[in-house]
Amino acid sequence: MIVLGSTSEVAQAFVEKALQEGEKFERIYLFTSNRETTERFARHIDVKFLQQSEIIELDLTKTINYSEFDQINSSVLFCATGYLGEGTEEGLYDNKNTERIIDINYSKLVPVMNYFAQKFESRRSGTIIGLSSVAGDRGRQSNFIYGSAKAAFTAYLSGLRNYLFEKKVHVMTVKPGFMATKMTEGLPLNPKLTVTPKKAAECIYKAFKKQKNIVYVLPIWGVIMLIIRNIPEFIFKKLKL
Amino acid sequence: MKPNFTQKVTNWGNFPIVEKEMRSEDSFKKIKEFVLNHNEVIARGNGRCYGDASLGENIFSTKKLNKFISFDRLNGIIECESGVLLSEVLEISVPQGYFLYVTPGTKFISIGGAIASDVHGKNHHAEGCFSEYVTEFKLMTENGDIIICSREENSDKFWATIGGMGLTGIILSAKFKLKNIETAYIRQESIKAENLDEIFRLFEESESWTYTVAWIDCLQKGKNIGRSILMRGEHAFRHELTGNDAKNPLVLKKKFSPTVPFYFPNFVLNALTVKIFNFLYYKKQSKKEVKNFTDYETFFYPLDAVTDWNKIYGKSGFIQYQMVIPKETGKEGMKKILETIANSGNGSFLAVLKLFGENNPEAYNSFPTEGYTLALDFKVNSKLKKLVDQLDQIVQEFGGRIYLTKDSMSRSSLTAYLKNVNSSKFVSLQHKRILNNK
Ligand SMILES: Cc1cc2nc3c(=O)[nH]c(=O)nc-3n(C[C@H](O)[C@H](O)[C@H](O)COP(=O)(O)OP(=O)(O)OC[C@H]3O[C@@H](n4cnc5c(N)ncnc54)[C@H](O)[C@@H]3O)c2cc1C
Repeated sequence: MIVLGSTSEVAQAFVEKALQEGEKFERIYLFTSNRETTERFARHIDVKFLQQSEIIELDLTKTINYSEFDQINSSVLFCATGYLGEGTEEGLYDNKNTERIIDINYSKLVPVMNYFAQKFESRRSGTIIGLSSVAGDRGRQSNFIYGSAKAAFTAYLSGLRNYLFEKKVHVMTVKPGFMATKMTEGLPLNPKLTVTPKKAAECIYKAFKKQKNIVYVLPIWGVIMLIIRNIPEFIFKKLKL
Repeated sequence: MKPNFTQKVTNWGNFPIVEKEMRSEDSFKKIKEFVLNHNEVIARGNGRCYGDASLGENIFSTKKLNKFISFDRLNGIIECESGVLLSEVLEISVPQGYFLYVTPGTKFISIGGAIASDVHGKNHHAEGCFSEYVTEFKLMTENGDIIICSREENSDKFWATIGGMGLTGIILSAKFKLKNIETAYIRQESIKAENLDEIFRLFEESESWTYTVAWIDCLQKGKNIGRSILMRGEHAFRHELTGNDAKNPLVLKKKFSPTVPFYFPNFVLNALTVKIFNFLYYKKQSKKEVKNFTDYETFFYPLDAVTDWNKIYGKSGFIQYQMVIPKETGKEGMKKILETIANSGNGSFLAVLKLFGENNPEAYNSFPTEGYTLALDFKVNSKLKKLVDQLDQIVQEFGGRIYLTKDSMSRSSLTAYLKNVNSSKFVSLQHKRILNNK
């Protein structure tokens, strides 16, 4: 398995869930920009599941040397790379913030995804799982830079799914909704709309087994976003969302 | 939206509830920042202590210190971060033929919590406390330094931290030994006792058993005082098992575990229902003596089978009162305690009796000392403080002590065994309360 964004708690929970369910991976490739945290995880899965892994440093804000990824091959790619950045109030006119959000969530990420997609295409098998966000379903005043990058990523995954369908590669888009993670710690999230990374991973694993296309981790989010998408723009623009 | 880390926090008894800052970090650098940037800090594991021990002004939750570090499968030595739960250790160790040397009555506690409370199990008389099997741990001290503590290295901090209730620093990770088992099953005997005399005799007769514990019906009066069921057990050997269990002796089948969905309304648990429950529990076993095999989950963690069972006590919460009374006068003391409870009408849904063996004098902050220990659950209500006071009085008279990890309202003279833990950085609500009560 290839994991992009290995420090993500959902990614780690997904790896654990898959191993618990008896999935076999010769090696797990843990891509990360934080070696310390990822090393802890690598040891953890070695102790717990005798699972071999390899840590590969990947910083999407820097130039990427693709030749280092030559030997990497797998049938599953899990992409949990993401960066929330500052919300609109604090960060809209801060270009560094804007660029970082767009780079990590979309512009620098997509070439890496493409690099591996090509490998999947030539094997004519496998599953690519991409974590997008409900924030990408419609731009809202509170975090639309992040939302727009995720919207682009959602569109990318949708196109990739379409393109790879004939080539026997499955692409799954996951929209987790609120998740109780490092990224959201201390934010006032409605507990009824929030899942733990572990719960999310269980749901994603199930969807992966069923080869779903688009999954909202909590079904309620599908309904909420359906409503939000359908509010007429002349009303929507007046809302404080 | 700016993060706000203030939240409602409470432990297993749902009493007291505080609204304080609680943070969890997994990098040592960030933990150090947290420690240095706050005046009063206290570590919290899984909040399974009943009262106010892991509550304070600024709570550091070890929830994110949840990784395993190494497992020496040959010698059964495991190392993990302090937020790893006993349940997670068992998940990987049992299939490999290893069990915890010492486990409390729930597996949902953290390794940090096990060391800070120096927990005991049903085998204290035979195998001592959790600390006996801890070889070393890493501790973050007041200035954010990380030191290794063992019997040889920083041994003063090692012993102060064991049973030290988080007041010496934050335990980051620990290394401890596991015991060999051949199966995940326990050979068990349950014996009914009519009264206190009989149960004490049974305890003394059972000293050669590794695990012993008794469930007391504490609403009985007069000659029935101490009516109880003694349970004793040993890890089963492979050749003792039959059928399917024998084929796969280290793996248990998945079981369904119900959840208590909400706080029960106040009328559910009252003197009458407690009486009925205890009556049924005692009558369920119709024979004087039952011998059978049971899986380790059922034997060690019967209460874990119902998730969130603490909600049965309702929103006002409950306390657990656990004391130990020296062996010589144990019987007399217990009798007085049970009489006082029966007369108060304040029933205990759960009352567990055990015989502690000799303590390890080096582990001076550990609660267990040789004698009889009783743990009782009481719903919090207006009459409770008075009852606790009466019980404290008896424990005091008999030279006993109270288990800090369950305490939230006892008098401080009963917890005075706690020493060498005065720090201006690591401060809990409990410690403040105890110091104020002096
Ligand atoms: C159903 C049930 C049955 C129980 N049975 C028993 C039993 O049989 N025997 C027994 O001994 N206990 C028993 N207990 C009590 C329980 O084992 C202890 O309270 C244990 O310490 C709880 O661990 P925790 O991880 O939940 O820690 P918490 O409850 O969060 O904290 C307990 C104490 O440990 C400290 N602490 C926690 N983590 C750290 C850390 N990383 N570094 C420093 N200090 C730390 C806290 O400051 C606090 O003082 C039982 C509890 C329940 C709910």
